[in-house]
Amino acid sequence: MSIMDQNGGSVIAMVGKDCVAIASDLRLGNEALAVSSNFQKIFPITDRIYLGLPGLATDVTTLKERFRFRVNMYTIKEEREIEPETFAHLVSSTLYEHRFGPYYVEPVMAGISKTPSGGFKPFIAATDLIGCLNYAKDFVVAGTASSKLYGVAEGLWEPDLEPEDLFETISQTIMNALDRDAYSGWGCIVHVLTKDKVITRTLKARMD
Amino acid sequence: METSFAITGKGYVIVAADTTASRSIIKMKTDEDKVKTLSPHLLMAYSGEPGDTVHFAEYVERNIRLYQIRNLYPLRPSAAAAWIRRALATSLRSRSPYSVNLLVGGYDTASHDPHLYWIDFLGTMTEVPFAAHGYGAYFALSLLDRYHDPEASLEDGLIALKRCIRQVEERLVVTPGKYKVKVVSKDGIQEIDL
Amino acid sequence: MNTLVQRFSTTSAQSEINKAKALAADDQDFDDFAWGSEAGFGTIAKGVPTFSLPAVPDPRAFLRLHTDDHADPNCRIKIQHGTTTLAFRFKGGVIVAVDSRATAGSYIASGTVKKVIEINPYLLGTMAGGAADCQFWETYLGMHCRLHELRNRERISVSAASKYLSNLVYNYKGMGLSMGTMICGWDKTGPSVFYVDSDGTRLKGNLFSVGSGSTHAYGVLDQGYHWDLSDEDAQELGRRSIYAAGHRDAYSGNTCNLYHIKEDGWHFIGNYDISKMHYEGPGNVPGSENVGYGYDVRVVGRSSANPPPSAPTPVVAA
Repeated sequence: MSIMDQNGGSVIAMVGKDCVAIASDLRLGNEALAVSSNFQKIFPITDRIYLGLPGLATDVTTLKERFRFRVNMYTIKEEREIEPETFAHLVSSTLYEHRFGPYYVEPVMAGISKTPSGGFKPFIAATDLIGCLNYAKDFVVAGTASSKLYGVAEGLWEPDLEPEDLFETISQTIMNALDRDAYSGWGCIVHVLTKDKVITRTLKARMD
Repeated sequence: METSFAITGKGYVIVAADTTASRSIIKMKTDEDKVKTLSPHLLMAYSGEPGDTVHFAEYVERNIRLYQIRNLYPLRPSAAAAWIRRALATSLRSRSPYSVNLLVGGYDTASHDPHLYWIDFLGTMTEVPFAAHGYGAYFALSLLDRYHDPEASLEDGLIALKRCIRQVEERLVVTPGKYKVKVVSKDGIQEIDL
Repeated sequence: MNTLVQRFSTTSAQSEINKAKALAADDQDFDDFAWGSEAGFGTIAKGVPTFSLPAVPDPRAFLRLHTDDHADPNCRIKIQHGTTTLAFRFKGGVIVAVDSRATAGSYIASGTVKKVIEINPYLLGTMAGGAADCQFWETYLGMHCRLHELRNRERISVSAASKYLSNLVYNYKGMGLSMGTMICGWDKTGPSVFYVDSDGTRLKGNLFSVGSGSTHAYGVLDQGYHWDLSDEDAQELGRRSIYAAGHRDAYSGNTCNLYHIKEDGWHFIGNYDISKMHYEGPGNVPGSENVGYGYDVRVVGRSSANPPPSAPTPVVAA
């Protein structure tokens, strides 16, 4: 039993046309025993950045608090909101600070970034537990169901999906992947981010 | 086999822990109180590595008290639980981590609702309507899924607790024995003799 | 031409059977027993199955090293473990209920496993531990139960059948067999349930649950069980107990298969989706109120908040 499987949980993020989506399960387990069906793993960082933290639950909570602190400090010092690209590097360097005693978490982030010309561009990224950044143009996955998520996402994802279609695609992907993972499930939440709003929906997932 | 339970109900949290203090295969004591009163509306049941448990519980108790002395009001349950969790999470990556599992139950006098937090030795925390630690959890959680009522009177809450205790007595190889039961509600903390 | 050669060749299947018959000539049972199809029990000669063993000096120690979970969790022959099965005896017969999930590590390999083995119209066996072990030995047990019927002109008792199985698996103790099973049925003495496992344990009892989710099932089962349960309530208790385990245990779930054994043999009652039971209940079945079993479904709109009467009551969203 790996320490990454102690509590279970999975996150996926996907790119659409001028939008991104991020979804996770809601299970908190103690190995095989499920303890909570309302354990949030995705946290809003700004109105345009959401961060998913699957992995060891104690580190999920600790890192959530830590990132809130660091992003607040950034906002105060810079007098502006953090951009997704910058935040990705903040995540990466925060994790690498603990290179020799890491946090057991694999962050996944989704955001909408501003381009110099005033437009908006979808952004997703993931890192491993010591902060190696991985940018992707399609989707990123992490957590105990990651291998299953890859399989379904490879089959369902297509470029330039509108927000509602992206919601459908990410929902189908995570729901079907969770059904093949014993440590993830017990509810499901999806956020779709566009340049001017966030749509959040909880899905009626399998409860076993 | 250490076991602790906690159940919320209409305006209260029941926190119960077995009263055995064991060392190896020996019961050293059978009337140990493992439910600490942290503030007028906050209870904490603790179990885990002998030695760590009492030291950690007293450390928490003194710090919660210190906050109250400095600020003239006690921490609300959610804040207290967050602080306790942080103490465990920090300790996890220290030279000698505390190996303590907790159930923190409190009554929030500002919002008039009971809160219960399940915390393990890693610093994992989640708010739940009922909780258990130890092998008892494997029997009690499914039982409470079936019988727990968030609006139960104290009387009915205690009946649910007795169901759990009886179930564990019936099925667990090494039975925990007697339990210390405390209740926190708007009127403060009260000990109950089952 | 080839077929003609084969028919008279000494290596044809028939001559193999003749050879085996000659080997077992002194065993009167064998003649009838091996007649016609061997139905996958080709390893059986003399009425006792034989298996090829690892070619090492001490196969028992070798198998223990490579198949036992505790000896070496990293280097072992993976055996399917997660399961919840239960069986209980009551006034109206025996209820047998199982889940249908098969896991390999965290991967849910199947959600439609049949964990009840229909040994014969009066006997059921449940499956926990090694799927192949349970399937093989309980099917094999079925053959012997039939032989018993033919020899003695009466059905085998549940006690005798379970003892037969227990003795069989005990012969292979320490060689990595893994099974925890309940042999359930109705005989002259009425309904009965026996727990048999690969350690060689055999227990008679009213109520058993086996598998990784058994503790969760017991939590609901023990609280609802009494001898005088009606048929409908007993079936409902079986469903609810498997639901409880499927809900809480990561290695159990997907669906529940429910059987009821009465005087005229077993009846398959139904297959129930555990998530459907959570949200909507088991459907229109006797004994059920047809509401979701799930905790959050059951307590929706109920709150532990206790605001003083003077304070405005917070509106609870439906």
